[in-house]
Amino acid sequence: MTIIKGKMTSMRKIVFYIFILIATISMAATYTPDNLPIPYLQDKTQYVSNPDGILSQTAVDSLNLWLGQMETAHGVQTVLAVVEHVEGGDAYDFCMALGRKYKIGSKEQNTGLIILLATGDRSYYILTGRGLEGTLPDAICKRIENRQMLPALREGDWDEAMLNAVRAITKYVDGDDSLVGSSDFEHIGNHVSHFVFSLFLVFGILIIMLAILYDRRKKSYCPSCHQYKMKRISRRTTTNHLLGKRAHHDTYRCTHCHFTKERHWDEDMHHNGGAAAAGGILGSSFFHGGGGFSGGHFGGHFGGGSFGGGGAGGRF
Amino acid sequence: MKTLKSILVAILATMTFTSCTYNKLVEQEETVEQKWADVQTQYQRRADLIPNLVNTVKGYAAHESKTLEAVVEARSKATQITLNADELTPEKLAEYQAAQGEVSQALGRLLAITENYPDLKANEQFSELQAQLEGTENRIAESRRIYNEAVQTYNVSVRRFPNNIWAMIFGFEKKSPFAAEAGAEKAPTVEF
Repeated sequence: MTIIKGKMTSMRKIVFYIFILIATISMAATYTPDNLPIPYLQDKTQYVSNPDGILSQTAVDSLNLWLGQMETAHGVQTVLAVVEHVEGGDAYDFCMALGRKYKIGSKEQNTGLIILLATGDRSYYILTGRGLEGTLPDAICKRIENRQMLPALREGDWDEAMLNAVRAITKYVDGDDSLVGSSDFEHIGNHVSHFVFSLFLVFGILIIMLAILYDRRKKSYCPSCHQYKMKRISRRTTTNHLLGKRAHHDTYRCTHCHFTKERHWDEDMHHNGGAAAAGGILGSSFFHGGGGFSGGHFGGHFGGGSFGGGGAGGRF
Repeated sequence: MKTLKSILVAILATMTFTSCTYNKLVEQEETVEQKWADVQTQYQRRADLIPNLVNTVKGYAAHESKTLEAVVEARSKATQITLNADELTPEKLAEYQAAQGEVSQALGRLLAITENYPDLKANEQFSELQAQLEGTENRIAESRRIYNEAVQTYNVSVRRFPNNIWAMIFGFEKKSPFAAEAGAEKAPTVEF
């Protein structure tokens, strides 16, 4: 009896462990719109979400490049996901939920695109944003799937299926002149640099004004009664054209103690004011900063596009 | 003098308050109407697809005329019922929904029989038509969902105190959402 009991428990243990194993495996490979990684948010050149490593790195790089060109040239913002399983096993529901969550596509043009392949569910979907339904009607999506994807999918060649699909989609998108390249991010980058530039400009002007005020105050200091009451009462200027210099002879008198003082200074006629030069330096250094900013790999953002249920999908 | 002043202030406050409520109700009603128009557009889109689909199927499965006729009949019945946004009463909406549900069911039966015709299934034109139909069913579901959301927002506004008083005075009435239907409004699922 005890032997049987012992056997039972060990059997149970094995079953339990197998169950846990299956649970963890299926959990790791089943994605919801909430736990699907979106690399685009961290790096705007990464459109492909390949968390299970189903696609090869070469394919991912090519896809990212093409999808990047599509966004720059036509403002079509794509999320391409290749996973084993999606929650519920329904590719359409998953894509819609993903679109609702991230609002892929720009608000103005509404050209978001979601391409999903769930290899374990053996299903796929191309979901088009409301603004893309004219460029990629349902029938065209279906045709791309039938002609470009299905043959490769049946062979289990996931790389080829996705490359073919995106290549075909690019052709249709390229053929639509009404789509405007948004490069939303660059716009924002420009806005940022304009903003910083004007900030610098304001600061520069402020500093120059402060310098002028300080200079005035310094000049109004009376060494006799130690008050800031000196005022210029006369100026005599002599110009030396040969040297390109002007000599100023100013007379200051204190309004408090009537102390009088001569001040003499030379002005170089070949140069502009120092203030303008300083402003120029500030401006140019700041422009360089702006250039560096937009060059880096920054996270992308989704612009508020919506999906009305356009597109097509299927099973293989 | 003082009482006159306070009365004036009270009237002014009430007016501001009312106009706020009124504008909000108008805005929300406008949204509902717009979303309703979207729903109708999607149903119309489906109705426009049907003749093409029926003709394609006919070419391969001519002797399924009963099923084909059922689709055509349901379609013509459904297109006769149009609802303006200002007559969205529960009864009329139910009627509309029932008529469109008939179309969905007839289409479902049609797509089911196409399973028996391998040549038809292999036809690319049919495959694309089917994709369009599926896409339209998806759009209908999505636009209905959005419409229901707008209706809910509006209904909450209309019924909440003190808005309900102004709604009553200005004649804002509750609007009906789509009722969930058991199976009838589901997109026809097609196995490949």
